[in-house]
Amino acid sequence: MINQAVYSFSVWLDSLESSTLLHESFYMYNWIESTHVLFLMVSLGMLFLIDLRMLGYAFPNVPASKVAEKLSMPMFFGFAVMIITGLLLFYAIPVRSGQSLWLRIKVVLLIAAAVNALLFHWRMKRSISSWDTDAKAPIGLRLGAVLSIIFWVLIVICGRLIAYDWFDCAHGQSGLAGVLAGCIDGQAQF
Amino acid sequence: MSTASLGSYYRTIITVAVVLLATAFLFSSLRVDAWVGLKPFFEWMGTTWFGVIGTTWGAVFAVVQAFHLLAMALMGGAIIVSDGRLLGLGFSEMDEREVLDKSHTIFSRSLAVVLLTGIFMACGVAMKIYYLEVYWYKMLALSVGILFTYGIKKPLLAKSLDDISPLVRRAVALSSLVVWFSVAGAGRWIGFSG
Repeated sequence: MINQAVYSFSVWLDSLESSTLLHESFYMYNWIESTHVLFLMVSLGMLFLIDLRMLGYAFPNVPASKVAEKLSMPMFFGFAVMIITGLLLFYAIPVRSGQSLWLRIKVVLLIAAAVNALLFHWRMKRSISSWDTDAKAPIGLRLGAVLSIIFWVLIVICGRLIAYDWFDCAHGQSGLAGVLAGCIDGQAQF
Repeated sequence: MSTASLGSYYRTIITVAVVLLATAFLFSSLRVDAWVGLKPFFEWMGTTWFGVIGTTWGAVFAVVQAFHLLAMALMGGAIIVSDGRLLGLGFSEMDEREVLDKSHTIFSRSLAVVLLTGIFMACGVAMKIYYLEVYWYKMLALSVGILFTYGIKKPLLAKSLDDISPLVRRAVALSSLVVWFSVAGAGRWIGFSG
């Protein structure tokens, strides 16, 4: 039922003229994709530095609260740009993207990373005064930092794999891959 | 001529001279000779283990590419923090030396991963990039970036920071951002060329 809804929504998006124009515009599509990738440096670069500070590998002599405070703004700006450009990339190729196994895994990982980030922020705020100047954060926060790095490494890998068509419904997927990709029996191919 | 006679900026002068020579080389006919001469090397790259793995297993290539991007992200983060500090845009209440030194360590380690994964990827698509003009632009930008960082920025900032004029510090930070953004931009350009 969810797969049918995603498919119907994607087909509707695909029928919009602006979706086709974006897909077929060589420069605009590539500018959006390039912006999406280049802003990794702003968003993930900052996020990794915050995580590495918690683990004691980056700026151990700088208070953790300062590192988090100073790097959060560019990090959130970077993520905002990545979300906007990511949605535009989906909008340009909605049906294939909606049925991409890798994009689906990526979305699940993004949700997991967001929940982890919220828990991390909440725990850090609650306990920061007791360890702010320590080289390493307490074990719970270090675990959160490691999870954050793992989630984002997997998110970037899935993002890269979206370009490959091994599990595309157009190849007539059956079994688990077909179910997870959301292939619909007898669907029109795009 | 001793290096002392060039003053405290001798490394900067040498680096600029190397970049100028490289630019002159690019606009000379020697460039084409060198490019033709490099063809056997690129053909050999495609036959190495890296080349065979990169060509045969798309998944391995994609995962290595992802780690290339992740290392680029960390490298970009280190550049933004150190250059942001030099421009006075962040970490202003932190010890400048600490921020610059730690950022440089992270930058160097990330660069090592970027280069290693980049070599793997280059082997996997050796002949494609050999004929791709933008690949050579990226290599030029990367060489300028490495020369700039290790030949100009690092030695300059190794001095007492109070002795460096604010104008020079800002110029170095802005140049660094422009150079490395060019490297990243040229890398993306490869993605949608050819």
